[in-house]
Amino acid sequence: MASFLSVHGYAPGPTQRPFLAGAISGVIATAPAITILRAFGSLRVEALVLHLSIWATLGAGWAAMAIAGAIYARLFGRAANNVHGGWIFGMGFGFALWAAGAAMVLPLISGGQAPAGAAAIGVVLSMLAWGTTLGVLVPFVHRPLHERLETASRSSSVGPNAATQKGENLPKGRM
Amino acid sequence: MIAGVAGAAAMEVVLRGFAIAGLPVFDLVQELGAVVFHHSHLLGWAVGLGAHAFVGVMWALFYAYFFWSRLDLTPPLQGLAFAAVPAVLALFIVHPQMTLMQMDQDMIRVSAPMLLGTIGVREVSGILLSHAVYGLVLGSLYIRPVGYKVGSRPSVARKKSVRPRRPVERRRDGGFMFATGIECSYPTIDNGRWRRDELESCGHYKHWAEDFELAREIGVTHIRYGPPLHLVFQGAGQYDWSIIDEPMADLKECGPEPIVDLCHFGAPDWLGNFQNEDVAKALPEYAAAFAERYPWVRFYTPVNEMYVCARKSALDGEWNEQRRDESAFVNAVFNLASASVGMTDAILERRPDAIFVNSESSEFSQPCCPDPDVKSAAEFENERRFLPLDLIYAHEVSDRMRGYLREHDVTDDAFDRFCNRKVPRRSILGVDYYEWTEHLIDREGHPRSLGELFGWYTIAMQYYDRYKLTMMHTETNQTDASEGSRWLWRQWHNIQLARQNGVPLVGFTWYSLTDQIDWNIGLREALGVVFPVGLFDLNRDPREVGLSYKHLINMYCDQPDYRECKALKELMR
Repeated sequence: MASFLSVHGYAPGPTQRPFLAGAISGVIATAPAITILRAFGSLRVEALVLHLSIWATLGAGWAAMAIAGAIYARLFGRAANNVHGGWIFGMGFGFALWAAGAAMVLPLISGGQAPAGAAAIGVVLSMLAWGTTLGVLVPFVHRPLHERLETASRSSSVGPNAATQKGENLPKGRM
Repeated sequence: MIAGVAGAAAMEVVLRGFAIAGLPVFDLVQELGAVVFHHSHLLGWAVGLGAHAFVGVMWALFYAYFFWSRLDLTPPLQGLAFAAVPAVLALFIVHPQMTLMQMDQDMIRVSAPMLLGTIGVREVSGILLSHAVYGLVLGSLYIRPVGYKVGSRPSVARKKSVRPRRPVERRRDGGFMFATGIECSYPTIDNGRWRRDELESCGHYKHWAEDFELAREIGVTHIRYGPPLHLVFQGAGQYDWSIIDEPMADLKECGPEPIVDLCHFGAPDWLGNFQNEDVAKALPEYAAAFAERYPWVRFYTPVNEMYVCARKSALDGEWNEQRRDESAFVNAVFNLASASVGMTDAILERRPDAIFVNSESSEFSQPCCPDPDVKSAAEFENERRFLPLDLIYAHEVSDRMRGYLREHDVTDDAFDRFCNRKVPRRSILGVDYYEWTEHLIDREGHPRSLGELFGWYTIAMQYYDRYKLTMMHTETNQTDASEGSRWLWRQWHNIQLARQNGVPLVGFTWYSLTDQIDWNIGLREALGVVFPVGLFDLNRDPREVGLSYKHLINMYCDQPDYRECKALKELMR
């Protein structure tokens, strides 16, 4: 996957803070997702499946979505920072998370129980809504978090020593 | 988007066709609709169709962004290979989950055998067949994501960005030139039918105001900027300046000072290519019109990298005329050099103090062994690299090169016309350097990349020793973004060494401001693959090398011998 992304200039620059931007966006994006989960009765079913209270389920969800958001922003790099196309990449990520998490991991950790009927529809819709919102938010949340060019350019890591081989020092006694 | 919708539509047409023919195929579209409308076949189908078209678009965008051009297959087969991903997901995740969604209960105990039990031969054949159709259609339609048909025009942003602009702080005459450039190549490919336009591919037409602002933030004093000749110069005496009036006004008002690149690897549609000798007459007319419209411009590159342009167009068969013969190469060189000389003269008539930065790619060929044929081939290439500069700088060539020119129909008179010319005093020899410009001539006589063996200083000195002109490092970058800072500082040490050794060196350029598109394949195909060499990526976020360049400029710009560059002052006198 990384090589597929790198061809599009994936590597985020040093002023970017993708983990932080993704985590913040991931948490904010749970708002529409929770609304959908409640509307379809899926939140109650997920709590039952996980043997947790509603609030504990929400807490676990926020933590998981913060981590997932951070992974999204780091993994998708330039695509995640795309103001116009970010939403669709986010939605794709939400779909992938649903496929991996809700459809595969959830039944595994709950001993084989899974949402069905309207609750299952709510789960998939909530993940798509979460992903779409995440994708929309990341570019806007990220930009103000960037380190400023002025301060970042003062770092010694980008200064004259960068001319040498990375981490290479002369053998002792040679100079 | 079109390819995604078309792929989804083709998928449905094939499945409908099979259903009408009475073949037992699984219909994913109908199943998708049935999740919402259990009881209405028609409504379910309509909703399923819409949802499926949307999914088709989503997958197409993923294909375009992450998958396209990664496999060495024809486009339809690339699409087919990609379609395996949604097919597998549809088979093992979406279909079993949709079965669960159609149940009348909220929770169910599931198991792998139960979920896999929903997948029969009908499902496997239907899903694989329909996704294969989708992939083939998607791959067949998504073939040239960048560039445009010759004769058409890209849209250009007419309004400035809302970001506040600030003038370059350190604009002073006679200081060392810290430069970058806007990548602006515009050759044609596909035998003159498809226009590569890096200004469009890299988003400059849309983001030009932001690009100039970023250049100012980095702190460069000069910017190599090539207005799109093919869009501005629409015929003899016909110009569309509206494309560049605003950007030029912005540069005039706020800087950085432009080094205007008038011809960058391509000719206008109506002139065709560099085999057309009218190029040598038409481009001076354009240069004259440009100098009259923007009389404040002082720095010009009449024709960029003439050797590279002639070689790629007429010897390697990749751009413009796409020829592969020595006569065509010689013809292109003479047309380009004639154009350059004519443009220079036309500008000087209107701006006598204009300064000409004649940038050329430094090339060097090293024989791999003492084989006389290999040594001879290397010697020839090491002389041929100078040919366009020899013409515009009125430099004599060897007997061997004279013989080569005669062999390809260049009369001594035609050559001597260049040799008898007076070279403008305010000429700067621009020497570009990349890690692929040093070559090893192998035993078969073919060039192979040597990487950075001798370095810019050694190669540039060969050019300096030949022409004894004021010099500038006019282009460099590094293909591995993680090595960009290292490359920048190493190039900079080459600059310092040259200056210490008395070479009149007036500027340095990191090329380019943003990442480029498809330069990893020399623009010969329209793949749309990012070449991460910019100070900023294509989102306009800084790369490490951008920070390093700002660090470097801040460190050196106020040093006495950079604040006042004697060689440049002398040239501008």
